[in-house]
Amino acid sequence: MSGAILDLSRQPAPPHVAAEICIVGSGSAGATAAWDLAAAGRDVVVLEEGADYTGRRLTQRDGRMYDQLYMDRGGRATSDLSVSVLQGRVLGGGGVINACDVVPIHDGVLRHWQRRWGLSDWSPEALRPFRDRALADLSTSRPDPDDETLFNRANRILRRGTEALGWRGEVMLHNRVGCAGLGTCLIGCPLDAKRSPRFVAVPRAVEAGARFFTRARAVRIEGAGAETKTVRVRLLDPDGYHEQGELTVSARVVILAANAVASAQLLLRSGIGNAHVGRHLSLQPQLPIVAWLGEEVRFFRGIPQSWAVTQFEEQDHPERGWWGFRVEAISGTPGIVASILPALGRAGKEQMRRYPQVAASLCLLPDEPQGSVEVERSGRLRIHYALTDDQRRRYREAARAAARVYLAAGAREVTIPVAPMVTVRSEGDLARIDAIPFLPATVPFLSAHQQGGVRMAPSERDGAADPEGRVHGARDVLVFDSSGFPASASSHTMAPIMTGAHYLSARLLARLPR
Amino acid sequence: MGMGDVASSGPIFSRRRFLGISLAAGGVLLAGAGGLLWLRGRAPRVLGLRCLTAHEYRTLSQLALALFPEGGAFPGGAAEVDLARLFDGFLADEPEWNQSDLKTGLVLLEFGPLLFDGRLATFSHLSAGERLRHFESWTGGSMIQRQLATALRKFLNLVFYDRPEVWSSIGYDGPAVPAERP
Repeated sequence: MSGAILDLSRQPAPPHVAAEICIVGSGSAGATAAWDLAAAGRDVVVLEEGADYTGRRLTQRDGRMYDQLYMDRGGRATSDLSVSVLQGRVLGGGGVINACDVVPIHDGVLRHWQRRWGLSDWSPEALRPFRDRALADLSTSRPDPDDETLFNRANRILRRGTEALGWRGEVMLHNRVGCAGLGTCLIGCPLDAKRSPRFVAVPRAVEAGARFFTRARAVRIEGAGAETKTVRVRLLDPDGYHEQGELTVSARVVILAANAVASAQLLLRSGIGNAHVGRHLSLQPQLPIVAWLGEEVRFFRGIPQSWAVTQFEEQDHPERGWWGFRVEAISGTPGIVASILPALGRAGKEQMRRYPQVAASLCLLPDEPQGSVEVERSGRLRIHYALTDDQRRRYREAARAAARVYLAAGAREVTIPVAPMVTVRSEGDLARIDAIPFLPATVPFLSAHQQGGVRMAPSERDGAADPEGRVHGARDVLVFDSSGFPASASSHTMAPIMTGAHYLSARLLARLPR
Repeated sequence: MGMGDVASSGPIFSRRRFLGISLAAGGVLLAGAGGLLWLRGRAPRVLGLRCLTAHEYRTLSQLALALFPEGGAFPGGAAEVDLARLFDGFLADEPEWNQSDLKTGLVLLEFGPLLFDGRLATFSHLSAGERLRHFESWTGGSMIQRQLATALRKFLNLVFYDRPEVWSSIGYDGPAVPAERP
C-alpha cells in the first residue's frame, strides 16, 4: 500500500475514505502511532488540521508563523485570557514549534502514576523500551557547552548565575541534528534540523503506507459504540481560516491524538464519554522572567533553551511525582518579546531598543490537573483554568530564584513582566516579588505542555479512559496523546507523549484482530 | 411583599402613570444614547475595511499611535504602518464570536474614559499622553479591562515589531535564512 501526504485544501478530496484506523492529529502521539500501526501492516489515515510547513516555507517571521503553525492562529488562551495556550497546528504537531527540549518521563513519575492514579501497568520496567525508542527517534544529544554558536550567551549567563550560587543545573537534552543556531525554533526551523516526528515518524509512516490528510479538521465522531465509526471532517482553505468542504472517514478504530485540549473537545462535540471528559486539565503555566545585562547578549541567536536550573526540582516527590520548579533560559523573536514586556509607549520602545541586551528565562512549575475544557452550544471552545493560592506562592518562590540567579550572573536589573511591572536590582529588592498578586490577565503566562482532559484511570469512576487509552462509553475510540496523562509527566512533554504512543500502539496491536 | 401579594393587591401603577414613566425612561435612554453618539463624534470614512466600523478603526488607530509614538528610543512609530487595518484583516478571518468580543471591546475602550473614569470624553478625543495613561490603567484595571488590554497589546506588538523597518532600531538582524517566495 502506498502512503502519502495529501493537502486537501489544494487537491480534490473524495467524499468518503475508509481505513482500519483513523488517527486525529499528526504530532508526537499521532505520527508515532501512525508509524507503529502502519509498520504492522494496518491501514491508517491521519487527519491534521494544519498544513505541512518545512524548510524555507518556515519564514522566521512572527506574524505569519504564529498564524499558520499554532492553534487559533497563535491566539489560543484560557477563557479569562490569563494563560496563552500554545499548541501546534501543523503536520508534525508541537515538535515543529517547540524548543527541542527532551525531558523523558522519569521512573519516579511512573511510580507515582502507579501508586496515586492506579496505572499499575505503567511501570518503569514496562515503559523503559518505549522510552528508549522515543529517545532514539529523537536522536537525542546534549549541545556542546563550548560551542558558542549553539550554547548562546543567554544560556551561559543563566549557567554562570547557577554556578555562582552553588545551585544544581544541567545542559538540557535536545533533538537537533545539523543545527546552525538560527534561534527561531519556536516558529519552526527552516533548516529542518529538528529530529521531530515530522522528520522521523511521518516519513516512516508514509513509507509504511499511512495516508496523512492536511487541512482536514475532525469535527465529530459518530457511531462510537458501533464496529465502524464515522469521523466527520471539514476541509479548510489553504490558510486554514475557513471551512470549504466535507469528508467522512469510516474506521474500525479511532485514535485521538489531537492534543490535550482538542482531543477532549472532539469527544465533547461528539457526545462521547463520561463526566470526566474535558476535566482534569493541566496547563503547567510558565512564568517569563527578563534580565537586562547592560551588554550585548543577542539571546535571539543560538539554541533558546540549553541550560536549566534544577536546584528546586523533584522527580520523585512521594505525593506528586514531578514537583518543585525549574528555570530554563528562553529566547524570542521581536514580536513575541514585545508582547511580553510590560512597558508601553515610549517606555516600551526604550525596552525594545535594549532587545539585544535581554536574557530571559521561564519558570516551569508542575500543577494539579485543575483545569477543564468546555464546548459551548455555538461550538466555541472554552478553556477554564484558575491559579490556586498555593500556585501563586510557588510562582513567587520560582521568580525569586530566577531573579537571584540573574543577579548572581551580573544582571543590572531583572523584570517580572506583570502589571504593574516589578523590577529587581539587588537582593534587597527581592521582597517586591512577594507582593505580586498574580491576578488573572496581569501576567503573560505561557502554557506549552498541556496534559489531561481525557484522563486514564483503572475505573470509570475516576477517569474518562482506561489505562490502555480506551474511552469509556465507546468501542475502540482511544486516546493516545497527553490528554490521557493523569498528572504532570514532565516539564517537557514531547518525549513522554512519544513514549506513551509507542506503548499504547503496542498494546493495541496485541489485542486488535486482523 | 411576595409575588402573590402583587397579584392580589392590584396594579401598583395606574396605566397612565405607567405610560408616563415609560415615556420618561425612554426619553432618558434616547437622550443618553444621543449623548454618547454626540460624545463619540463622527469618524472619518475609511475605505476597504472588512470587519471594523470607521469608529472602531479610529479607536484602534489612536491606541496604536499611543502605544508606538514617533520618537523616543528610535524614530519610527505607528504612524508608519496602518496597524488598525492589519487588525481588521486579521479579524475578518476570525470566528464570529471573536469578532463580536473584540469589536465590543473597542467600543468599551472608546467610551472607557466616560464609563470607568467618569470623564465627559471618549478615548479618541483624549490627547496622546492621556490615551496612553488611560490604556495603561486598563492593564491593572477590572477583569474586562485587563482582558482587552492583553488581547490588543499582544496583537499590536506582534505586528509592529515583526516589520523589517523597525529591526535595525532594536538591534535585530532579521531571519538568518532567506524565506521561500510565496
